[in-house]
Amino acid sequence: MSRGNGHKSVLVIGGGIAGIQASLDLANMGLQVYLVEKSPSIGGRMAQLDKTFPTNDCAMCILAPKMIEASSHANIELYTYSEAEEVSGEVGNFRVKIRKRSPFVDWSKCTGCGLCEEGCPVILPNEFDQGLGKRKAIFVLFPQAVPKKYVIDKREERPCKAACKDACPAHTNVLGYIKLIAEGEFEEAYKLIRDTNPLPAVCGRICYAPCEEVCNRGQLDEPMAIRDLKRFAADHVNIEELELPTITKTGKKVAIVGSGPAGLAAANDLAIKGYGVTVFEALPEPGGMLRVGIPEYRLPKEVLRKEIGYIQKLGVEIRTGVRVGKDITLEEIRKEYGAIFIGTGAHGGMRLGVEGEDLSGVMEGISFLRVVNLRGKAEVGKRTAVIGGGNTAVDCARTAKRLGAEEVRIVYRRSRAEMPASAEEVAAVEEEGIGIELLTTPTRFFSENGRLARMECIRMKLGEPDASGRPRPIPIEGSEFTTPVDTVIAALGQVPETEFVTELGISLSPRGTIGIDPKTRATNIEGVFAGGDVVTGPAFVIDAIAAGQKAARSIDCYLKREPVAVEEEERVPEKLSEEEVADRQKRYPSQKRVKMREEPTQERVKDFREVSLAYTPEEAIEEASRCLAGLIEGCIECHECEKRCEAKALVYTMQDEHVEVDVGAIILATGLDLYDVSPLTEYGYGKIKNVITALEYERLTAASGPTFGELRRPSDEKIPENIAFIQCVGSRDFRHKTYCSAVCCMHATKEAMLAYEHHPGTKSTIFYIDMRAVGKGFQEYIARAQEEYNVTYIRSRPGKIEVTPENDNPIIWYEDTTTSETKKFETELVILCQAMIPRNEEAAKILGVSLDDCGFVEIPDKIFHPLDTARSGIFACGYAHSPRDIPDSVTQASGAAARVAEVLAGGS
Amino acid sequence: MNLYEIIQDTKTHYCLECGKCSSICPISRYDPQYSPRVMIEDALFGFEEELIHNHKLFSCLTCYACQLKCPSDVDYPLFIRKTRELAAAAGEHGDYAHSGTLQSLVGLMARSSIKQRRFEWFSNSYRTSESSDVMLFIGCSPYFEPVFEDIPVRTLDIAEASLKILNSLGIEPLVHPDEKCCGHDALWLGDMETFRILAEHNAAIIKESGVKKLIFFCPEGYRTFKLDYPNYVKLDCEVMHISEFLAQRLETEGLRFNEVKKKVTYQDPCRLGRHLGIYDAPRKVLASIPGIELVEMEHIREDSICCGTSCFTNCDSYSKQIRVGRLVEAKATGAETLITSCPKCQTHFKCAMVARGEEKGPEVEIEVMDLANLVANAIGG
Repeated sequence: MSRGNGHKSVLVIGGGIAGIQASLDLANMGLQVYLVEKSPSIGGRMAQLDKTFPTNDCAMCILAPKMIEASSHANIELYTYSEAEEVSGEVGNFRVKIRKRSPFVDWSKCTGCGLCEEGCPVILPNEFDQGLGKRKAIFVLFPQAVPKKYVIDKREERPCKAACKDACPAHTNVLGYIKLIAEGEFEEAYKLIRDTNPLPAVCGRICYAPCEEVCNRGQLDEPMAIRDLKRFAADHVNIEELELPTITKTGKKVAIVGSGPAGLAAANDLAIKGYGVTVFEALPEPGGMLRVGIPEYRLPKEVLRKEIGYIQKLGVEIRTGVRVGKDITLEEIRKEYGAIFIGTGAHGGMRLGVEGEDLSGVMEGISFLRVVNLRGKAEVGKRTAVIGGGNTAVDCARTAKRLGAEEVRIVYRRSRAEMPASAEEVAAVEEEGIGIELLTTPTRFFSENGRLARMECIRMKLGEPDASGRPRPIPIEGSEFTTPVDTVIAALGQVPETEFVTELGISLSPRGTIGIDPKTRATNIEGVFAGGDVVTGPAFVIDAIAAGQKAARSIDCYLKREPVAVEEEERVPEKLSEEEVADRQKRYPSQKRVKMREEPTQERVKDFREVSLAYTPEEAIEEASRCLAGLIEGCIECHECEKRCEAKALVYTMQDEHVEVDVGAIILATGLDLYDVSPLTEYGYGKIKNVITALEYERLTAASGPTFGELRRPSDEKIPENIAFIQCVGSRDFRHKTYCSAVCCMHATKEAMLAYEHHPGTKSTIFYIDMRAVGKGFQEYIARAQEEYNVTYIRSRPGKIEVTPENDNPIIWYEDTTTSETKKFETELVILCQAMIPRNEEAAKILGVSLDDCGFVEIPDKIFHPLDTARSGIFACGYAHSPRDIPDSVTQASGAAARVAEVLAGGS
Repeated sequence: MNLYEIIQDTKTHYCLECGKCSSICPISRYDPQYSPRVMIEDALFGFEEELIHNHKLFSCLTCYACQLKCPSDVDYPLFIRKTRELAAAAGEHGDYAHSGTLQSLVGLMARSSIKQRRFEWFSNSYRTSESSDVMLFIGCSPYFEPVFEDIPVRTLDIAEASLKILNSLGIEPLVHPDEKCCGHDALWLGDMETFRILAEHNAAIIKESGVKKLIFFCPEGYRTFKLDYPNYVKLDCEVMHISEFLAQRLETEGLRFNEVKKKVTYQDPCRLGRHLGIYDAPRKVLASIPGIELVEMEHIREDSICCGTSCFTNCDSYSKQIRVGRLVEAKATGAETLITSCPKCQTHFKCAMVARGEEKGPEVEIEVMDLANLVANAIGG
């Protein structure tokens, strides 16, 4: 189905000032106009200009009302981000097929608020600023864009499945922050991580990194070092000076019991949502297991302190040394606070159940670590045995080594394959000279003089799998042996200590964990929620963080008296198929992951210094640049914008659409492009930093530009006091464009005046061939520039620009044609007035309109039908027609509109 | 030929008098009295007498730097060449350098009956063949060698290196016992009679030898054979510069060189570069030698700066300044060797290093080597 009425409808191609003017004229005559613009906003080149000559009015101030008028006019239908693809028929009866490119944003919902843009991790050169500024992959063309709607610059399919994000319990935007690191935006990377994880520096060190296990790059060569990159980002921001979000207080209070990762995550999220949060911590220091369970060499206390410090700055009060159930009852808390979150972790040790376990010299692992972490030391003997095979056992063994034990060994009852400790931790243990005795378990401890002296062990063999799925260890009768030992640390596992919750009647599982509703995270007592190890039994930091965050969402709903939001179903991390792996291997060369350096073993075991040395920025960027998602141009589909969009306007699956319209006539107003001046090597554009083009200059002086209107030169961002313009760069040149671009003499003069207005006193020199001030008031304008704006005109076409290496000042070589002397002129910034070229090749092809030698629309009758193209019913105006300035383009546009009206009324 | 025709032929009447030529001209930079724009202006005003008796007419290096950037496409070097014909007819010839020795040698080659002994320098270790399809043009190298012995320039080393390269590729070229100067300098000084004699002689011996391909290590000979001979004589063979030949072989035969550890920079000879547009071939050859690191000067390719003098005429203090300026640029790259592929570039640069007069000026000492010599070293053996 096509729309429009051939006799009363017009297609205007190009939404610049000429297209807008023609559309408004036609619309005001009562005709239906379809205004098609390729970019996401109308406005065209004029929108890029700072001021217009010869009045020096703000370009945007004149243009914006016209854009608004065009977008709100009842007779104008805007098709931005669209192109006319096919035109058939003839004058009075054209049928046009328009392709609307997918912006991947539902424009009927988008409010143009910009929340999406803030989160987008993909940074691209901003075309509107001539590449001088940056924009995101989701963007509006410029602040005053019409329509003010966002589009996603999506160019390629992401080559990976972003399995990292799905595998992370907190669903951290891994691909997003890795992209930011690759771009060198370290602070932005930290902020993006912090959005889903209040403890990036902590997790950057001790997370078990389920993301790395599923990383799709791992299917090609090696998985990304995601955890190490997270640590890098965290180490490269000053957390203590990070700005705080604006928080709107709700006036409601929430109590949190336990300051471990679960409690901190819940506190962080609730504080940001505006709740008054108090955390009760039994130990003298906040941090829970992070503070007392993880040794300093893996997680420095200072790192933890800083991240907790930021949470406190959000308004969270942490009361340490307050044991709930003893110093204060839950009932008392419940009276004062609207909701309670219990995240007390699993700090209870487990007993061996072996004779002699209570002897002096036999310790429990968790309490051993707690003592070391709080006091900085503990007594260990020369011969230390650690019982167990988990991460705690490993931590105990490495800690004992650092406390001075000469011989440390781990005694584990199953084989190496069953050790729950991570493989890298086990490797580190062996590197540090700690022995591992497998398939062995202690059966009795003996004392001498009241102190532990020997340990009797028995060898084991593996039997059928037990309830945990691992083979059951079976003692081998008669294999007992005795070994001298003076310290035993039993690291068998942790259990929650939950007796204190029974006062409220909270139900516990047989293992002592708190039972919750998995959907709401609520316990059986109203207003009391729980999460982390206290619910699941011992698990990982990131699991506890995720649990705290989910509980915070539920508490928010509960306190707002809203139903608990249904959580989206967890996505299963996807793998690349075999074909996809083969394809990616072809496209991207194999690259090993960059390893973090470590302290040498001999040195590091002497104290508690951090073992892993962070990446250097170069190493981090190299590693981050391996991420498959980041290897493409444009949007990487991290869905950060979708997460942030309050209007729910993102539609990643959106497709291009086609629309057909019937029109009686067509106006071509596709405007201009800039001629690439880099082949004019004598001027050094692209090589000499302080040689820029005039349109770049316009962006530098425009308030909406990358420097917010400060004219700063590229090399050192200095405000130049002496600038020079070179005319006819590529214009009036047999080797480039033979024609005069028509506007450069005047726009250079205007730009020189603007420099003076920005910074009075600025000296401008304009090198010209002959001054083409062909317009009303133009000659006076040039006289004013000379008299009032410190502008000098030199008649010469410079032949070479060199550079002073010390200050990056360009040196212009020219012949003073009045004295025939070749001279040099040192200046601080050179502006090349580059040739302008019509941008109409594609449109002309579709319209079947012929072009002249220079690429402008061919006009068969230049005298009496100067706006009629060679094809009847199609008219041209603006720069696509011939070189001209804005007032001329507008005049032509009105002329073209009048011609259309004439033809539609039956004239010829 | 009169001035009016010259103006027509060289599109001089399109001149906008913008002065771009003068601001590019390497001479104008040092000699404030020299302006190509003014020369053109004189011609357009019809000041023929002033023009042909203007001493500066013989200063132009015909380096083509101005011509390539002229917005009006005026062929200034051609304008100069043709105007010099008028000047020569009026008895003008500029200041010959080296007391006119080189011009006299060219004259002797063209007009005397003295038999040349062109193989005196030739060592037996190179294989040549009288019946070869390929000829290596030796040109003036045997004459330059004794004239510039004190600098010291060994132009025959380049000839030997070229022979070594061809031999290593399995080519036994013809080296002709009776070849003569290509006539380049005579042509560009407006001495058309000498040029014609030399061109006709060379064309005749080449035709007689039946070679299919003529290889040059001197860009001037190459340019003259390629662009100028066709206007005067008939030549039925392909002409090539050795750098082009090597670049072609690199592609077709995947030549491999030994490692030569050297940081080098490269001087584009005007004839090879701007006259003929060959910028990539020598660079491709350099890139193919393992261990060679090419660091470019500020002005390269079409923006390259001439070695400072041409046709051994009007070699003055400005010419010296151009050479010193260029050498300073070469040294600024940090390269240890300045590679060029023109025997004349080498001669002029070495001369600038030796004869620096009382005022020493900036440090300009740098090894100058022909590309052919570098390649010969990389072949080894």
